[in-house]
Amino acid sequence: MQEAASARPEIAIRTDGRTRRRDSARHRRLTILVGALSLPLFVGLWELVSRSGAVNMVLFPPPTVVAIAVLEWIRSGQFLGDLAASLFRVATGFIIGGALGILLGILTGQFPVISSLLSPLFHILRPIPPIAFVPIVILWFGLSEAGKLFLVVWGVFFTVWLSTHIGVQKVDRGLIRAALMLGTPRRQMLQEIVLLGALPYIVVGLRTAVSISFYTLVAAELAGAFAGIVYRIEIAQQNLQTGQVMGGLAALGLMSFIADRLFAALAERVVWWR
Amino acid sequence: MSGPRSSIKLALASSSASVEAARKQPAIQVANLSIVFETNRGQVIAVDRVSFDVAPGEFVCVVGPSGCGKSTVLNTIAGLEVPFEGDILVEGAPVDGPRADVGMVFQQPHLFPWKSVRRNIAHGPRMLGKSRTEAKAIADDLIAMVGLTRFADAYPNTLSGGMQQRVAIARALANQPRVLLMDEPFGALDAQTRAVMQDNLLALRDRIKATIVFVTHDIDEAIVLADRVLIMSAGPGRILREVAVKLPRPRSSSVMLKPAYLALKKDCLDVIRAEGLRAFNQSDAS
Repeated sequence: MQEAASARPEIAIRTDGRTRRRDSARHRRLTILVGALSLPLFVGLWELVSRSGAVNMVLFPPPTVVAIAVLEWIRSGQFLGDLAASLFRVATGFIIGGALGILLGILTGQFPVISSLLSPLFHILRPIPPIAFVPIVILWFGLSEAGKLFLVVWGVFFTVWLSTHIGVQKVDRGLIRAALMLGTPRRQMLQEIVLLGALPYIVVGLRTAVSISFYTLVAAELAGAFAGIVYRIEIAQQNLQTGQVMGGLAALGLMSFIADRLFAALAERVVWWR
Repeated sequence: MSGPRSSIKLALASSSASVEAARKQPAIQVANLSIVFETNRGQVIAVDRVSFDVAPGEFVCVVGPSGCGKSTVLNTIAGLEVPFEGDILVEGAPVDGPRADVGMVFQQPHLFPWKSVRRNIAHGPRMLGKSRTEAKAIADDLIAMVGLTRFADAYPNTLSGGMQQRVAIARALANQPRVLLMDEPFGALDAQTRAVMQDNLLALRDRIKATIVFVTHDIDEAIVLADRVLIMSAGPGRILREVAVKLPRPRSSSVMLKPAYLALKKDCLDVIRAEGLRAFNQSDAS
């Protein structure tokens, strides 16, 4: 009787395990298949709906029309100019805002006096959405490039500052004590231990700031520009070229996506020990 | 004038200097050390008037239950814990911060994760102004001494806990400290690794001849390693008893099978049991 009792659960476990394994393999194949079909299915449905007559084709053009608009945009040479203008704003703003954020984050994270001086101010300014600064930026900078850079820098700065500040404060105390016992002077402590110890946090802040830089770009270009992806979207909207509007959105999404992926790959190399 | 002389002293730390100094003064003098922590429920006396001396080259183990303040005492000697009451002299000089001739190994290895084994160990010499080649030579010697030559270029996250702690010990030795403080360095390791590490440390100790203060809660570990065991009580931390360990050296963990060892262990356990009973009755009464 004892034997039977011990044998039964063993069989049960084995069958259970086998079916589960088969299930999970089938499940995985299905997931991959559905994933591969997702975009074609969506685009096909969009094409059908647009051409069915149920919606206004001018306002809701099918993907083929969007594609033609995009090709036209590229062929006219405007696309490269717009792309360059937008990328320049995002990249420059990101670099300036990121550098300032890291610098001040290290200062406020490391020195309590500087933190008491600046942190209250930063905490008040940080929650204001950068887009809300568009009116005052126009007053201050007009339609110049400086105003657009200001908006992107503003958006990037606070995110990077906060994550650097937290990162510096969260550096493993054990590492600092170990470094102290090895005779590490103040300066080297900051460069070698604090900065590298905070790096994982800084990198997360910078990655978040990548997408923030793109949405502040939208605000900046909508506020008035002479070139740029979002500027082109606005012009196309005014001319009722809905195809180009959608093409511009796709381009913006693709840019942001690629930037994020590149940054994620870079981040993995920078903080490889994590 | 003091610059070149002190560097010579440092270089000789492992040889005749410690013997000569033995006649002059203890390596560590702790007199009436009290440490009080401010908590939101008021003051807590962590350490209460602790006094002891450690002779140059001596290996002293401090044993006690968790929370008895033994790690706090060690951190204070290291210059990491302020403020405290009483006097602590290390190599004749009062403690007022971490210093290069006092090395420390913590319970966790605390290796710099972005540095290879070699560069972790070379960190101390580099910070003291040694050239890259000099620091590398020191590191390579120590890597060989702790048996990690194959792993010189490995990064800490690829090493086992025992290997990481060996790197931490080598790193602490790289500045040729006259005093080595060890805060339960093997506490986080499994029993097998721990026995191997104890034997490694005993062998290492015969070569470096630094003064060692080793904190542990494991009475066996204390007797196997030490020349002298200080038994502490908890709440507040006090030294209950000093037990001289006159077991022959060179020693290994197999000394645990000797009758002399068992007699010593019985002495220690008697003290600990009596104190445990006293603490238990006290908490019962209150």
